[in-house]
Amino acid sequence: MPVLEIQDLTHVFPDGAVAIAEINLKVNAGEFLVIAGPNGSGKTVLALHLNGLLRPTRGKVLLDGEPIDKNIIAARKKVGLVFQDPDNQIVGQTVAEDVAFGPENLNFPPAQVGMIVKESLAAVDLSQFATRSPHALSGGEKRKLAIAGILAMKPKIIVFDEPFTGLDYPGVVQVLKEILRLHKTGHTILLITHELEKVLAHADRLVIMHKGRLVADGKPESVIYRAESYGVRMPLKDGEKVSALTWLK
Amino acid sequence: MTLFHYIHKDTVLHRMDGRLKLASLLLFSLAAGFASDLPDYLAPLSVLICSVLLAKLPFTVLLKEMRFFGVIILIVIVVNAFTFPGDPILKSPFASISRQGVIAGLRFAGRLSIVLLVSTVITGTTPLTRFRDAIEWYLRPVPFVPEARVATMINLTFLLIPVLLDSFKEIRNAQNSRCGQLRKNPVKRMKYLVFPLLGQTLRRADEIVNAMEARCYSEVRTKATFKCKKTDWFLLAISFAVFLFVLL
Ligand SMILES: Nc1ncnc2c1ncn2[C@@H]1O[C@H](COP(=O)(O)OP(=O)(O)O)[C@@H](O)[C@H]1O
Ligand SMILES: [Mg+2]
Repeated sequence: MPVLEIQDLTHVFPDGAVAIAEINLKVNAGEFLVIAGPNGSGKTVLALHLNGLLRPTRGKVLLDGEPIDKNIIAARKKVGLVFQDPDNQIVGQTVAEDVAFGPENLNFPPAQVGMIVKESLAAVDLSQFATRSPHALSGGEKRKLAIAGILAMKPKIIVFDEPFTGLDYPGVVQVLKEILRLHKTGHTILLITHELEKVLAHADRLVIMHKGRLVADGKPESVIYRAESYGVRMPLKDGEKVSALTWLK
Repeated sequence: MTLFHYIHKDTVLHRMDGRLKLASLLLFSLAAGFASDLPDYLAPLSVLICSVLLAKLPFTVLLKEMRFFGVIILIVIVVNAFTFPGDPILKSPFASISRQGVIAGLRFAGRLSIVLLVSTVITGTTPLTRFRDAIEWYLRPVPFVPEARVATMINLTFLLIPVLLDSFKEIRNAQNSRCGQLRKNPVKRMKYLVFPLLGQTLRRADEIVNAMEARCYSEVRTKATFKCKKTDWFLLAISFAVFLFVLL
């Protein structure tokens, strides 16, 4: 059984804009899926449905076979969402306090919250910044803090919305390494990006969205050749293999 | 700028329980309000100067940054001295300085100094989070006030201020690089600044709400824990003594 299943998902905004239409997708446990598409193709709207932040106009989202609206809190614990702009995601006055936000929402006892914060910060290698203000962090570190905040919820599936936007080269490498480590430790990864050259080598599967529809789905090496016609830059030069598409050495 | 900013040190004042600190702040502010004769001003001021030293705050730097308030105090004293009716000290056909005026000015100066110093000590030794937790604790028994929501709002406000200031600067710079400063009509200029900022703020607020929901935001949440030590009570007792001294 797939961990995540999207059936006929359609979302129409009150102003009549059809942001996504008839999306069907099955994601297996442990998969590393890249979702690509030009601006406005509905990637973020799709992500917001995966833990019930947006409710579908039609269709449904199943987690482990269960519709997510049966237990929305459970869905939010299972699916961690790392947003595009970490500044909008970080709510703590200090790094540690930000990571504590999630577990405190779940009303865990203070000692347990402290434990989780320690673990999560250690996991992304930010322990030494625990008492710092998040605004003092670099772009890459801010993203890692956002990831730590999500890890504190102990999700099985982690969705990254354009995680490389606005990062310099070391920042991208930092975040990419973190994502790969999470994949290795058993998390299912959905990564939204149009910068395929940075990450596609590590993906099991590539999905392309275009004008709210899912237009291609399959192995990266077969789907990649259709990317350009849907407004995603084709990152391969003649004779290059998909395995060259990474910013890690 | 160090004035009114938290300065991390390890002293009794830094470790003091936020709730008792908040109470001390209240006591000193009341003392400033009730003070009437010279010793009433000197007692709180000397205790506060001792606390600045005890908290190892950079005294000279802080004094320098208080210059601005010094100027205000001076202006108030001068204005009071010349405008307050009463027994003249210095007579001249154009203006005269009255004794009552000088005293009123000095009183104001004393009050402002107390408030200024107590704010300096408290903000210098207390991280914002501790403040927020203390306020939340005081609100717990108050009916119909959702203390968790108030705490979250305080938090978000302080979080958003630097972000908004940054956005504001960026928007203004972007407009000035298109010579926006040449526009004479201040209403139009404000319009071009305020609307983009407002739009951005609303979108940002929307995203923050989403991000908080994604992490299961709930008002039934883990409560802050407090550690109240004997020294904290002792410090509060000193504040109370100062208050009583001024009141009586
Ligand atoms: N709150 C909203 N109201 C109306 N339309 C929206 C809203 N949010 C997104 N849309 C529209 O939905 C479409 C998909 O947006 P989005 O998922 O953000 O695209 P992207 O693939 O760049 O993440 C866009 O056409 C956008 O204009
Ligand atoms: Mg998007």
